[in-house]
Amino acid sequence: MSQPKGETFMKVLRWLHDRAKDVGVVLLMAIFFTFVLQVFMRYVVGHPLGWTLEMSLMVYLWLVFWFSGFLVKDKEQIYFDMLYVAVKPKTRQIFDIITGTIIVIALALSYPATVDYVTFMKIEKTGATQIRLDYVFSIFLIFLPFVVIRGGIRIFHLLFGDSGGPDKREETNP
Amino acid sequence: MSFAFALSLGVLFGLGAVGAPIAYAMIIASIAYLLVAGQDLGLVVEQMAQGVLNNFIILAIPLFILSARIMNEGALTDRLLKFCIMILGRFRGGLAHVNVFGSLIFSGMSGSAIADVAGIGRVMMNMMIKTGYSPGFAAAITVASATIGPIFPPSIPMVQYSLVSDASIGYLFLGGIIPAFLMTGFLMLTIAYVAAKKKWRPDRANDEIVTIREIPRVTIQAFPALLLPVILLGGIYGGVATPTEAAAIAAFYALLVATFFYRTISVQKLYVIFFESAHSGALVGLIIAAAYIFNFVVTSANIPQLISTLISNLNLTPLSFMLLANVIFLVLGCFVDATISLLVVIPLFLPSCRAMGIDLVYFGVVIVLNIMIGLTTPPYGILLYVLSGITGVPFSKIVREIWVFIIPLLAVLVVLIIFPDLVLWVPRIFGYKG
Repeated sequence: MSQPKGETFMKVLRWLHDRAKDVGVVLLMAIFFTFVLQVFMRYVVGHPLGWTLEMSLMVYLWLVFWFSGFLVKDKEQIYFDMLYVAVKPKTRQIFDIITGTIIVIALALSYPATVDYVTFMKIEKTGATQIRLDYVFSIFLIFLPFVVIRGGIRIFHLLFGDSGGPDKREETNP
Repeated sequence: MSFAFALSLGVLFGLGAVGAPIAYAMIIASIAYLLVAGQDLGLVVEQMAQGVLNNFIILAIPLFILSARIMNEGALTDRLLKFCIMILGRFRGGLAHVNVFGSLIFSGMSGSAIADVAGIGRVMMNMMIKTGYSPGFAAAITVASATIGPIFPPSIPMVQYSLVSDASIGYLFLGGIIPAFLMTGFLMLTIAYVAAKKKWRPDRANDEIVTIREIPRVTIQAFPALLLPVILLGGIYGGVATPTEAAAIAAFYALLVATFFYRTISVQKLYVIFFESAHSGALVGLIIAAAYIFNFVVTSANIPQLISTLISNLNLTPLSFMLLANVIFLVLGCFVDATISLLVVIPLFLPSCRAMGIDLVYFGVVIVLNIMIGLTTPPYGILLYVLSGITGVPFSKIVREIWVFIIPLLAVLVVLIIFPDLVLWVPRIFGYKG
């Protein structure tokens, strides 16, 4: 997400971003078709499946944090904007630096405890699908560092570069 | 209130005020609490993950978002609209009536006010402006009628309420039916009054009006779309499907109709529909996950109990408690996002409700309606922003006209507060014991 000098680097980033989008689409399709299958098996075939609901919930957990980590831009988040839109762009930039820094530090602080919790969960499995919970929760080990890195890059841009870099927020909400 | 919790609240509102995303503000406020209270930071992920995994109703949210998106993109919405114009378009203020009535039908398939504004609302509004209505008036009625969406089943806000209150989602949906009809009726009466007072002529000159010869064709074209609410509600209340399954069936049916009957969906379009739905589903999901950890903090700081004691010391009757709660939520609605009210503030009132014997389905329907009114009240009314954003009608123009329609919505709210049976009658027919 930094400002690459080389064209190829930009291309690689864009390619990765598109693949992340593909994964996001596949996740929702998985939820949707699992449900269609569940309904079909229960009401048409008369042989309900035990694993579908649990599977869909796990996929939704991944979907939420996959999107939040990789695909949702800052400006697309839902936020209060009363004071924020009322102040001058310069003040807004200071606000962005403050909130960004607090979020980055707090999330980074919580990371070791999160790793502990997720690895500890290897002793448990989901009920019907028998998947180890540390695998299910591993999305947090991807999500947290990415939000921290993206936040860090954004703060860097706000401090030294242009006004906000790739995650620059638009003037109007939403 | 402990110092840790006071600090946590300060962080939440401080971060919120300077423009941090709500979800992150809640997560960081929780981290601050856990740090100061000396609790394990691993709780953040534990509460978020377990919260999502243990509440299967949550799946209704991405699925209802998906079905509404398919209907909007797949032209089901357009066909419905044409049908509504056929019925109501000839009257004085006809298109304004169509706007309201169309919202009622559309709300039987979608559970989100924003989907209503962005879909049927936007189309209807452009049509009204073309026919000669003022943009401010057209936008105001579009925003006001969109609030019917989450009251008539299905409803995403009611799913969220059910997640925090454990009230039955099926009965909550049923409880919204009479209120939704009341809202439709009150809004249409208001339009009739405005039209009579301003001596509007019927919208007959409009080329969108259907001639008698076209009636069978328009009806046949709208038929598959009109069948959707029947399938959805029939499925849930015939006891055939759970609300979550019904959401998937609705999306699947809309996809079939759009692909094979209307032939409006291509593979590329499908990709965009799934991506955008997943994107919205993730935004809502992150806030819900964040609310799980924040509510854990609120509960472990014993706040709901504190508020309950405070309220019981006031010696309120259930009616005056309801009035007080509604005033608080209306004021909040002007400043705070609906999701915050739904997921964070409502749980604070639930112990008091239980203590006073106030029915949780009744409380839920009334407060969800209240929060939907909050979506239309400036300065922070998300529907005003969305509509202004997608149509270009200035915010201030909508605000000037919205008051006329907030009054009938408030009237419905008051009627429901005073007569709980209007909410509970339909659920009781289906066996609700409340």
